[in-house]
Amino acid sequence: MKRMAKTALLAAAPFLLASSFTQAADDCGKVTIADMNWSSATLIANVDRFILEHGYGCEAELVPGDTMPTGTAMIEKGEPDIAPEMWSNSMKDALDKGVAEKRLRYAGNSLSDGGEEGFWVPEFLVNKYPELATIEGVKKHAKLFTHPEDPDRYAFYGCPAGWNCQISAGNLFNAMKLEDSGFEMIDPGSGAGLAGSIAKAFTREEAWFGYYWAPTAVLGKYKMVKVDFGSGVDKDEFVNCTSAEDCLNPKPTMYPPSVVQTVTTETFAAKSPTAYDYVANRSFTNNQMNGLLAWMEDNQADGEVAAEHFLTEYESSWTAWVSPEVAAKVKAALQ
Amino acid sequence: MAETSWLSEIPQLSRGELRDIRKGLDGIYRDFSREYGEAIEALFDPLLAFLVWFEKLLLASPWFLVIAVIAGLAWIASRSWKLVLGVVVSFFMIGYFGMWDDTMRTMSIILVCTMMAIALGVPIGIAMARSDRVQSTVTPMLDIMQTMPAFVYLIPVVMLLGIGKIPGVIAVIIYAIPPVIRLTNLGIRLVDKDVLEAATAYGANSVQRLMGVQLPLAMPTIMAGINQTIMMALSMVVIASMIGVKGLGQPVLKSITNQYFTLGLLNGLAIVALAIIFDRVSQAYAKRSQLHMEGLDNG
Repeated sequence: MKRMAKTALLAAAPFLLASSFTQAADDCGKVTIADMNWSSATLIANVDRFILEHGYGCEAELVPGDTMPTGTAMIEKGEPDIAPEMWSNSMKDALDKGVAEKRLRYAGNSLSDGGEEGFWVPEFLVNKYPELATIEGVKKHAKLFTHPEDPDRYAFYGCPAGWNCQISAGNLFNAMKLEDSGFEMIDPGSGAGLAGSIAKAFTREEAWFGYYWAPTAVLGKYKMVKVDFGSGVDKDEFVNCTSAEDCLNPKPTMYPPSVVQTVTTETFAAKSPTAYDYVANRSFTNNQMNGLLAWMEDNQADGEVAAEHFLTEYESSWTAWVSPEVAAKVKAALQ
Repeated sequence: MAETSWLSEIPQLSRGELRDIRKGLDGIYRDFSREYGEAIEALFDPLLAFLVWFEKLLLASPWFLVIAVIAGLAWIASRSWKLVLGVVVSFFMIGYFGMWDDTMRTMSIILVCTMMAIALGVPIGIAMARSDRVQSTVTPMLDIMQTMPAFVYLIPVVMLLGIGKIPGVIAVIIYAIPPVIRLTNLGIRLVDKDVLEAATAYGANSVQRLMGVQLPLAMPTIMAGINQTIMMALSMVVIASMIGVKGLGQPVLKSITNQYFTLGLLNGLAIVALAIIFDRVSQAYAKRSQLHMEGLDNG
């Protein structure tokens, strides 16, 4: 008798699992995913959309986004539901407050190594002048970095207006007294402007010195060297002063790796726990992401094509994030 | 794939072919900019030097002198105390709210852009009015210039010339020049044929007809075009700041990304004030010069 009951239970188990799964899928409903305007974020957003739609039966939709507007909208309006690649340092206070008020959840790290920021110079230039790998060398060879509009000054390409890195880049610019060496911080106005200035420097083999971050297709495509400030990472200094607007006396420190997280709204996490688990598990290494971004660049692929490429070619990576049933559904949808 | 019928699906290049085309064109452009970039940049150097000089001049001049000069220009153009007072008050407010330097930067680049747009646009409009063939080639180009999203041509320009003033000027002119061209063309074409015949009967040659009859009669339409050009040039300030042009656009951009409502509104209003001043002064000037023409006619 006992034995029979056990078998019956075992036999029923798949059904139980399946039914609990269908219920979760039904609960999922409409999910909006922020499609941030840079390649790695748009790739992750598209992967999420495909897996949530085909694996979890969500009605997933991409909405355009950017760090600040999306973060604010998620806190204030509870929309979009998922920000797949949030550089949370850039609006830490607001996000922490959102989490404390139970509006948001930090689901997990979307880039397990975190983001890399710094001041960079082209590799071909460092091959010519090896000292350029340090900030002292850059100051010494300041004359190389001609200013586009002012012959008496040298150009440091800063972070675009309104981005949070503008504050940290500006503070480091002051901390290392680059102005005394004749540098002026140029505001490139937009990410496209900054990338365009790098592309111009590389096609013409000109000198370039400025702020950039990884993982990006730009750094995958144009080989650059991160300038060593000779200070190491001083995390306290960075958090308390370098990244604060009112930092009066900034000291040099390398950028600590940025935490890059998946942020979801509390409503989404509560409404569809299985889908939330996937989002929490999903994570890329920088190495893998650089490879994917380089592939995107080489093939001029958009996020959707790249997501398809990732799902078909890197099956072992993403199947680890989902249950076998979901993996089977996603594979079926890929056919 | 092969069996999908062309009836149910539109014939389409395969992704690979499309990619090759895109990569090929990008490669050609890259080679072009590597080959000729420096020469083209050198071509724009005098303009850049002028822009830098003009901006420095406006920034270095004492504020009351700048306001006095602008108020003087407004007076000469309009002879209206109300307008002059409006100009002085709005510039004073701009300074009072801490936007003086940015406004001077924007004003210098927009002044140069509108001057160039008018200097290029009016002759092109005249050429269009005189030849149907020119009109049929220029019109589609104007359509492209007005509708093509700015960043599509801005990024190639940035790759060629770097970020800063010159790509900014190019972007503003491309976007702002079509109205003055179109309306110059239209204005001249709308001049009454009988009037032209009369002028010919008095023995006017074609240059005299153009300068003495067609342009004066077309002036109201041309001025409407110039007004639109000024407005569109100023509306491009924010786009131009996205490729590193300093001025009122940068704080606007900053406030867009950070939701600083007041900062955005103040700088936006400064742009509006500049636009209104530019427009009223130029319109008042045109109206006065036309009154003069009317007087001649009656006399």
